[in-house]
Amino acid sequence: MTSHVLEWLAAYHDGELTPNRQRQVEEHLQGCPACRAELDAIDGLSSLLKADSAPHLTPPQRFAAQVALQLPRSSPPQARRNADPLPRWALSAPLILIVAWAFFQSALWLTSFILTADWIVGQRAMLFGGWLASESLLETIGDLQLFNIILLIGTTALWATWMAFWWTWKQNLESYTKGGVI
Amino acid sequence: MTSLHGTAEMDDRDLIACAQQGDRQAFTELVCRHQTAVVGVIYRMCGDVQQAEDAAQEAFVRVWQNLNSYKPQHAFRSWLYRIAVNAALDALRREHPSTDLDSLSLAAPETGPERSVEEDQRAAQVRRAVAHLSTPLRLVLILREYQELSYQEIAETLDIPTGTVMSRLNTARSQLRQELLVLMEEA
Repeated sequence: MTSHVLEWLAAYHDGELTPNRQRQVEEHLQGCPACRAELDAIDGLSSLLKADSAPHLTPPQRFAAQVALQLPRSSPPQARRNADPLPRWALSAPLILIVAWAFFQSALWLTSFILTADWIVGQRAMLFGGWLASESLLETIGDLQLFNIILLIGTTALWATWMAFWWTWKQNLESYTKGGVI
Repeated sequence: MTSLHGTAEMDDRDLIACAQQGDRQAFTELVCRHQTAVVGVIYRMCGDVQQAEDAAQEAFVRVWQNLNSYKPQHAFRSWLYRIAVNAALDALRREHPSTDLDSLSLAAPETGPERSVEEDQRAAQVRRAVAHLSTPLRLVLILREYQELSYQEIAETLDIPTGTVMSRLNTARSQLRQELLVLMEEA
């Protein structure tokens, strides 16, 4: 039975298969009476259901007039107008800042690691000369740490803002998908 | 339908945009265009034409009230059907507050002069079989077989994955085939 296409027959009947899969099913159906019989059964059920025709309805214009009588006098509420998705730059800006922060963080860690290793081995002069342990470099690292902290706080604040926007946007989308009118 | 605004020539997207600005004529045209579909899906759920039309009118009022929450990137048909489905479920709950929706049977079919008694009986049997399906199965079947929505549209309408649409459809068809075995053999 593994070579049969029973699992695809309903989707084939509904026209929901990809062109490749559809071709496979068609080729198989040509030589498989069992699958053809199954497809006939699906077709038969569909025909039986559709044989129950739709009832006679109120003419469209009269129906629309009845609906119009029930409409509130006001225009459709405008509340959701502000629910537009965020612009792309707003989504990518915090990401760029985070990447920048990660870069500085990595650079500082690497520098600290080199300095520590240098101190442990006690071969400052041999490795990098006197420059690496100089006062000016240590001051620079101290400044960088301060800059790093400021950058981290700023990025966190931006990230939180971005998350708030994203959450609001998602809530609006969900209110659509959950049928906010229900 | 002809109007001063020429709404008959406009496509749905333009009509929706106009209706969102408060153009009632555009909305009336939308109602005319989608009346059959909306009433149809509700009728297949509850089985009574009058009840279906009343619920459909409520559905269209909800559409008007929430028109600005509709986003053009989504299919209008799916959004509309979702509202119709919910209107149908509300109508059923209102009419049968103590009845389990899953066990509800559809009303007797209306006999028209163009249909024989035998056809009416067969149609009634089919409706009973459909009514015996659970609500989730029935909804998927109705949207596919009667409204001819694609799997993707059904998934959007009911907010379920496409795979779930396929499995529910397969289950619904299997159950119906068992229940309508005799009718299918006769056919």
